[in-house]
Amino acid sequence: MNRKFSYRRGAKVSLMALLACMIALPNALARTSKHPDTLVVATTYDAKTLDPYMTNDVASSNAMRQIYETLVTIDDEDKVIPSLAEKIERIDGMTYRFTLKKGVTFHNGELLTSDDALYSLKRAFEKGASVRHIMGVIDPTGFKKIDDLTFEVKTIAPMSSFLPALTHFGGGVIINRKAVEAAGDDYGFTPVGTGPYKLVDWKKGDRMVFERFEEYHGKRPEFSKMVLRVIPEASNRTIELESGDVDIAFEVSSLDISRVKANKNLELKTLVDNATTYMGFNCSKAPYNNQKLRQAITMAINIPASVKAVFRGNAYPAFGPIAPNVKYANTALEVPQVNIAQAKKLLAEAGYPNGLTTVLWTNSKKVRVGMATIIQAQLKKIGVTVKIQVLEWGAYLQGLKDNKHELFIVGWTCQTPDPDMAVYPTFHSSQIGGNNFAAFGDKEVDALLDTARITPDGPERKAMYFTIQDMLREKAPWVFIANKKIAFGVQDYIEGFVPSPYGFHALYEVTTKK
Amino acid sequence: MLGYILRRCAMLIPVILGVVFIVFVMMYITPGDPARMVLGEQAPQVDVDNLRVEMGLDDPFLLQFGRYVYNAVVHADIGRSYITKRPVWNEVMTAFPVTLKLSAMAMGIALLVGIPCGIITAVRQYSVFDNIITLFALMGISMPVFWLGLLFILLFTVRLGWLPPSGFDSIPAMIMPSVTLGLQSVAIITRMTRSSMLEVVRHDYIRTARSKGQKESMVIWKHALPNALVPVVTIAGIQFGILLGGAVLTEIIFSIPGLGRLMVSSIEMRDYPMVQGGVLFIALAFCLVNLGVDLLYAWLDPRIKSQYT
Amino acid sequence: MQTKKNSLWGQVFGRLKKNRMAILGLCILFGLLITALFANVVAPFPFDEQDLFATLEGPSATHWFGTDEFGRDILSRIIYGSRISLQVGFVAVGFSVMAGGFIGATAGYYGGRTDNILMRFMDVLLSIPQLLLAISVAASLGPGLLNLMLAVGIAAIPQYARLVRASVLSIRDQEFVEAAISVGSSDLRIIFRHILPNCMAPIIVQATLGVAFAILTAAGLSFIGLGLEPPTPEWGAMLSGGREFIRDYPYMTIFPGLAIMITILGLNFLGDGLRDALDPKLRN
Repeated sequence: MNRKFSYRRGAKVSLMALLACMIALPNALARTSKHPDTLVVATTYDAKTLDPYMTNDVASSNAMRQIYETLVTIDDEDKVIPSLAEKIERIDGMTYRFTLKKGVTFHNGELLTSDDALYSLKRAFEKGASVRHIMGVIDPTGFKKIDDLTFEVKTIAPMSSFLPALTHFGGGVIINRKAVEAAGDDYGFTPVGTGPYKLVDWKKGDRMVFERFEEYHGKRPEFSKMVLRVIPEASNRTIELESGDVDIAFEVSSLDISRVKANKNLELKTLVDNATTYMGFNCSKAPYNNQKLRQAITMAINIPASVKAVFRGNAYPAFGPIAPNVKYANTALEVPQVNIAQAKKLLAEAGYPNGLTTVLWTNSKKVRVGMATIIQAQLKKIGVTVKIQVLEWGAYLQGLKDNKHELFIVGWTCQTPDPDMAVYPTFHSSQIGGNNFAAFGDKEVDALLDTARITPDGPERKAMYFTIQDMLREKAPWVFIANKKIAFGVQDYIEGFVPSPYGFHALYEVTTKK
Repeated sequence: MLGYILRRCAMLIPVILGVVFIVFVMMYITPGDPARMVLGEQAPQVDVDNLRVEMGLDDPFLLQFGRYVYNAVVHADIGRSYITKRPVWNEVMTAFPVTLKLSAMAMGIALLVGIPCGIITAVRQYSVFDNIITLFALMGISMPVFWLGLLFILLFTVRLGWLPPSGFDSIPAMIMPSVTLGLQSVAIITRMTRSSMLEVVRHDYIRTARSKGQKESMVIWKHALPNALVPVVTIAGIQFGILLGGAVLTEIIFSIPGLGRLMVSSIEMRDYPMVQGGVLFIALAFCLVNLGVDLLYAWLDPRIKSQYT
Repeated sequence: MQTKKNSLWGQVFGRLKKNRMAILGLCILFGLLITALFANVVAPFPFDEQDLFATLEGPSATHWFGTDEFGRDILSRIIYGSRISLQVGFVAVGFSVMAGGFIGATAGYYGGRTDNILMRFMDVLLSIPQLLLAISVAASLGPGLLNLMLAVGIAAIPQYARLVRASVLSIRDQEFVEAAISVGSSDLRIIFRHILPNCMAPIIVQATLGVAFAILTAAGLSFIGLGLEPPTPEWGAMLSGGREFIRDYPYMTIFPGLAIMITILGLNFLGDGLRDALDPKLRN
């Protein structure tokens, strides 16, 4: 009896020791992945399609980055460098000659030729392609094949923004003609690229599964499999990261940032994206064709406090029309200070001593609605009564087209690494009715924009964009609101993840710490 | 009986056609431009206008409707998604099984918990037990599913860290969504079982059974329960149909890639063929479930069967 | 006839009074009604007053339920929110009872082809799950209080139409209706004076529970983002707004949800009580 009892106790003790070991073990050893051969990434949205010209959204571009390549790409300093094209010559101001890398194969075994490249560029330019406006400087009649690896492309004007446009993951992606023609309308789900991973399974709204492409011509990725999971709820992405079920989580919410920072198993990476959220004035008609009124309203809004409240630390207050990571952004500019007294004075000078009633449009995006709500409360202080209207996108754009808008909140993303994309479509008078929603037309600004876009890169071009930024702050067609800060949560055993401000990240470069 | 089934199925045709028409009208008057959604916020208006023409969105309403019905009936083709360009059928068929699984699990929980609770409360009428369960059932009916789901996440994920907050691909991940979706049905089935049991107990044959000196448990299990379950089965069937359509909120909260979430995002994206196809599919499933319920009811209750011949 | 009716309702109320649950439900509803009517007096703050320096605060003496991400008082927003929810609940149900009642009465009274066409149309609406139907209608009408009410209301029409039709069918052939027809009363008069008042009982029960369902549906629509324009304090929208803060500030989710639950609970208590009171046969 006694022996049996001690036996039992012994079992108990050893069991407890075992338990203690099990608890202590993970802490004693270096942490490793729960799924060693697979990189699991928690993304915010699912891709729409992997046919590069049929969509223009960040989630799709991010997935495409893993399976496709472009002719040229950009390095960490936003400089254009060769990728699929080995050599690029600028023959005259408007003609470029590309020489492709030799022996590059597509996922279906086909060799990459200039036919594929020309087919891709033409297709990106077709009617109905969602990336047309990005590729807009190409002259559709100027494509010329020289031989299997060499071809020429012409632009409609000598523009410095052409090569940067080709780096876009969508517009600049090179696809295989045969694969596209064979798949027809299903191509978006059976993509064939030259990139480091190939798509093997896609559960819509849930996950995309990729496998390493073993014949890839570049550096071989470490992970043989990669999974992009769709987890729209920000807090859920963090929870999955904490539990180790995912290795990298996109867009960690501002509330979770301190949590991730405090967790010694996790690392936080942040960057500022190239989108600018702004409140525009309709400058084409009363009351906002009045510059003083625009300045008064700009001055009455406490941008830093509002941005802090709405984005909860996940954004920087914007200082001008060009986001800080875009080339030639004047990062020395300061965010305008709120000054109620001065705002009231300007309001009176503008002819509205008793304030006015106005309508502010936004779509249902949460941060925009939040911003509208705050602006409404703040403008009350200078006697401006704001009525918020949340419009669905179609109605919103129709209203803009019909010139019915007064104030409106929206965002603009500079999708290529050239400042022309940031300010030309949005402020040039020729773009009224297009993306110049503020209907802003100013001769001085127009002239500068026209010259700047054909001036070769260098100090002269830089000075022009600096002047443009000053002028736009002065003339106040927009109230610059915010540049979003994007935070990524990463496991400590992960290395080599460099987030891109364009939203498409080179996940194939990610490795584990050895 | 077979004739009845065929007649009921034939009656589905005009109903489904009506559904297609109504959804078509609703989508037609919905503000927003699918072409703009396809091309994105920054695309120039000219491109959008061209695409609209290409997509046939500028055609007269009746032409669009006719084309849809023609393709659906003649070519068995319900179109392709505007956004993903994939056949609507494929998209629906990947999402629907998930919703079906979720609803089935919720229903299973509802039956497993609801019926015993209903029996206990009926047998021990007016006991403390009865009062507590009845109150809980009422609370279950009154609780918004989206709130319940969030409270579960708060407790089991945030506070305790036991269950994952999203997905539907493993047993732990399935627990919270199924319970969330099923709780309301648990309450409804509990209440139904209780009142049905109480109703049956009053009938003569139960009294006869009792007076013959049968044991009380025997009376309950053998005589009362089978008869009391007939209306419960009906309610359960109707509930199942409701769950299929009501899974939307649960799917959104737990990031489950089911048909409901697909529908809501398709409405947001103005992906009309997807909305069309999805509603069509859900309506069909809903009608078939209801038909199944009617048949089951007839089979369980011979008095009704005679009406169907 | 008049006296008989009075005593019927008197009896009903007598029975209702004995049901403690129903009285509790009535009290909850009455309290909510008072809160909604006098929201501007009861609420400690205006529902849209922001304080950007006091955002996301926990419950305190000044802010009993804490503040939201804009520093708005959650209690005040819930109090003002009762206006929206009650309005949506009652107006939507009023709409669907009237529309459904009209359709059902017409179908039941005239029968034949009219009945067939109307009820087939109702079948079509019934074959789309109610929540999904409400979502589609809300999306096609766009945001706004009236549209939200319509969306919720339209989705519920068929059930009232069916209910009224069934009641009308059971009453149509009774003697007092035949008597009215024989003295040459108009159809409208017969429907409104003789038939509808006699099928009120099931409609009232259904409508009480319907209000609960309407409030839930409206909150669900707001939760998805198909509701009202900001800064309107709607309970469902508040809940959905609190979602991203759930880990650190769960009370932003808890309190609005509690408000919804208590309201629905009250309506369900009352609805159950009414059903028992109106139909003594069903009493257990």
